[in-house]
Amino acid sequence: MRLLRWECWCACIAFVMTLVFVLIPGPYEMAVFTFLAQPLFAIAAVSYLSKVLADLRNRGVV
Amino acid sequence: MNVNYVQLVYFFGMLFCVMGILLCIRTARTRFGKLGDAPSVSFWITRLPAESAAKLIAFAALIVLPAGAIFTANYHTFEGVHEVSGCASCHAMLPMVNDLHDPNSGTLAARHYKNKWIAENQCYHCHSDYGFSGNVEAKLTGYRHLARYTTHTYTEPIAARVRFNNQNCLNCHHHTPKFEAVQSHHTAADRLASNQMICLNCHGQAHPTSLERTPGSAAYSRLTEAFR
Repeated sequence: MRLLRWECWCACIAFVMTLVFVLIPGPYEMAVFTFLAQPLFAIAAVSYLSKVLADLRNRGVV
Repeated sequence: MNVNYVQLVYFFGMLFCVMGILLCIRTARTRFGKLGDAPSVSFWITRLPAESAAKLIAFAALIVLPAGAIFTANYHTFEGVHEVSGCASCHAMLPMVNDLHDPNSGTLAARHYKNKWIAENQCYHCHSDYGFSGNVEAKLTGYRHLARYTTHTYTEPIAARVRFNNQNCLNCHHHTPKFEAVQSHHTAADRLASNQMICLNCHGQAHPTSLERTPGSAAYSRLTEAFR
């Protein structure tokens, strides 16, 4: 099962936005990184961690 | 080897982002439930079961590399705003920056620039308590400015919400012989320290006036020419 599919695509899009800002810094690129890329990274990370936690609970580790 | 911060940001930014994209694509295509029979994967000096390797790659793709990319890009933001060109990248700041570079201007900022009283990062030196270059509160204000600029929810001429802090001037001028030689600096010392009286009261305009920065004014087109 592709467990982390949408999280990875979210992070992928955020990486592209970040790369654009790093290479071509400007106010609009900065805004896209600040207000879109960072929340996308956060959403992907939170979802990933919640799935890891659920998996650990299923295995009785935590 | 002389490496500046921009080269470091380019290197690490590209490294984190390109690796992140590749590992995210790989993780998105990984079928975690079906890795039990897959052959083990070589990891530098050791070999890992395929499922463990896939989990390690997922951790790198979704936690480690995003953290690196976010750190690098934020470092880029907060270092970039130290430079005059960083301020000039917003149209709303062009009147200040063009005036700064105008050798015929008599504003306080232009005089500091053309006489090289401040060698570099001239905006930052006088506004180090403001916007992205200041403390946490100032950085939050910087984010508000960014949001308002990019959504065009601002009106010209722009105006500072906060009162200019004299400490920005006094950081360099206080206790210098020229400063100490002026009697009024001693007379007004308390009011200057408490910001009840600002340096500009006696030393003139720091930047073009709001009237000059108003669209339609005689000076507006000259002040808003693209920064080169």
